[in-house]
Amino acid sequence: MRLLAAFHAAANPNAIPAPHIEYRAILPMLIVFGVACVGVLVEAFVPRVHRAVTQTVLALAGLVAALVAVVANTGLPRRLVVQSAVAADGPTLFIQGTILALSIGALLLIADRSIGADSDFVAQAADLPGTEQERASVRAGLRQTEVFPLAMFAVAGMMLFPAANDLVLAFVALEVLSLPLYLLAGMARRRRLLSQEAAVKYFLLGAFSSAFFVYGLALVYGYAKSVEYGDIATSLTSSDRGDSLVIVGLALIGISLLFKLSGVPFHWWTPDVYQGAPTPITAFMAAGTKVAAFGALLRVFFVAFGGLAWDWRPVVWGVAIATMVVGAILGVTQTDVKRLLAYSSIAHAGFILTAFAATTRASESSVLFYLVAYGFMNIGAFAIVMLVRDADGEANHLSRWVGLGRRSPLMAGIFALFLLAMAGLPPTSGLWAKVAVFQAAYQGGAGPLVIVGVLASAVTAYYYLRIIVLMFSQEPAVEGPTVVMPGALSAAAIALGVAVTIVLGVVPQTVLDLADKAVPFLR
Amino acid sequence: MFSYVPIFALFLLAGGFAVFSIIAGSLTGPKRYNRAKYDAYECGIEPTPQPVGGGRFPVKYYLTAMLFIVFDIEIIFLYPWAVAYADMGVFGLVEMVLFIVTVFIAYVYVWRRGGLEWD
Amino acid sequence: MSPMFYLYLSAVLFTLGAVGVLLRRNAIVVFMCIELMLNAANLALVTFSRINGNLDGQIIAFFVMVVAAAEVVVGLAVIVAVFRTRRSASVDDVNLLKY
Repeated sequence: MRLLAAFHAAANPNAIPAPHIEYRAILPMLIVFGVACVGVLVEAFVPRVHRAVTQTVLALAGLVAALVAVVANTGLPRRLVVQSAVAADGPTLFIQGTILALSIGALLLIADRSIGADSDFVAQAADLPGTEQERASVRAGLRQTEVFPLAMFAVAGMMLFPAANDLVLAFVALEVLSLPLYLLAGMARRRRLLSQEAAVKYFLLGAFSSAFFVYGLALVYGYAKSVEYGDIATSLTSSDRGDSLVIVGLALIGISLLFKLSGVPFHWWTPDVYQGAPTPITAFMAAGTKVAAFGALLRVFFVAFGGLAWDWRPVVWGVAIATMVVGAILGVTQTDVKRLLAYSSIAHAGFILTAFAATTRASESSVLFYLVAYGFMNIGAFAIVMLVRDADGEANHLSRWVGLGRRSPLMAGIFALFLLAMAGLPPTSGLWAKVAVFQAAYQGGAGPLVIVGVLASAVTAYYYLRIIVLMFSQEPAVEGPTVVMPGALSAAAIALGVAVTIVLGVVPQTVLDLADKAVPFLR
Repeated sequence: MFSYVPIFALFLLAGGFAVFSIIAGSLTGPKRYNRAKYDAYECGIEPTPQPVGGGRFPVKYYLTAMLFIVFDIEIIFLYPWAVAYADMGVFGLVEMVLFIVTVFIAYVYVWRRGGLEWD
Repeated sequence: MSPMFYLYLSAVLFTLGAVGVLLRRNAIVVFMCIELMLNAANLALVTFSRINGNLDGQIIAFFVMVVAAAEVVVGLAVIVAVFRTRRSASVDDVNLLKY
């Protein structure tokens, strides 16, 4: 290839030299993207009876292969690759590995058909809900298996978003991760009206926030003459343009990133979308997009706009306090378990934002550890939510969860474990995650944030413990919902969540050290 | 002023052609009256006024429009490559082929799933 | 003809688009306003490309246009699905999920 390029350059004096692409460094993303494309071809050519199995095997194999590639890449030197567009550094590998592991868990949930009458995904998305055509599709056992390539495209976008060293690549990755999720949120089999409503709300608000990202990108480009994070950082010290241009640009980009990770006041979509989307997709979104968005937020704020830290730190303080307070207080009044978990995820986003008070190594590594702990406990919690069913689907109202501990102590006990982890109580991973994040915030001089964080944790612990008491202390209603035994795939996902939560709760030091070795971000 | 004469000449030519076509058609064509021929044509649906609550719109128009947009966008990326392909050499060619193959995969999916059937 | 005029125009268009998204009731019109915002950003990018003297902004505008088109396809699919179910394109009518 190089010989050919040299020959080409000799022959043509105007020749543009070929860019140097380190394929090995971007191999994990290429694998997932390739699996997604092959998945589309499977949809086109494989006969319907074999489609679901083929897609499941393909997607799982692809994710495992990508995870192996990420682990194999840890030996590579840390540098900017693909003409400084992608940063192949420690945090990228850590976050990509986390996203792949979480996606394997979510994919196991997506693929499971044994819970309830059929999978959670619509029989044929083009059918109008409530018509004879829809009933015929359900009777025929149809299933919209396009969810697999869509989910793979979303994973590819999630992997690229925190790795991008360039605002344009970050924008493209943001859209690649969001567009399939807009569609997936609308593909629930039961309660299709709610699902379509969740999809349209997510789409309109998500597109609105992407437009803010692009305008912020334009303003930052105008200030810095380049969109690469490294160039932006150097231009902050040496540009001759007015400061207001880059501060407004940063604000617009920050708005878009805060939307993705449910920061107040851009959190309004979270409860509705989490409640309406099919539960495997809610698990996927709650875990994967938050990890990817926080990774991107870290990279944008610390690497590109680190020089403006004095300007954005007060705003992050305010957003963190508001997010923790809203997530904690509004969660108390919720009666639907998926909505309650949505508000709890808003509160967790607030806790992670407290670590942004400082720009030290400790804050970066504590955020990475919190993301691992939070992702797995959420996948496990939503997996258990999938299992509580009655005659017409999931029973999500909390009043139907009364006494489930008597009906199925194992599943209720596992759910209690995840709730304790979210509350931050020992011996779960949640405790060490909160300790790490609050410690980083305190060392960064954000004592008030830590105080608000502890108080908000107490309020969230109240509503988590209320559910545990509800499940175990009362007798179940006679005609109440049952807890279905999970199929092999869902059981594997739940086991993964339990394993990570307990292992990180008892011996967190390995992953804490791993996170510490991964940072700092490449500048 | 003289440099605008060709534009005026073009206007006259175009207007003259249009008028000639209409007159020639009305003089030489058969005269068979049919009420439907006097309706406005709107791609096969009933023209306005639409019934209250919105008329039914076949969804295939939407599908065709969306497919057009996707492939039009692919063409947008082909234009700069077409201008500079010699300067980009083999790397540019391979990259462009990969891009076209990726969009082609989407096309194959649409074709096999019946998205290109009109009826 | 200073390039600043283009920046003012793009800021005005962006604001009009944002106000339209927040105030209009028809989902298609809301989406059109989002497209207006994206195109205002494109205008800003091309103007800054001219001011900065490099072509990066124009290439970025290419990418933004392509991504906006892809978003149109996905978004209209979602809106069409909702419209076919509810016979109404009003965003005020999607109100089953509350608080």
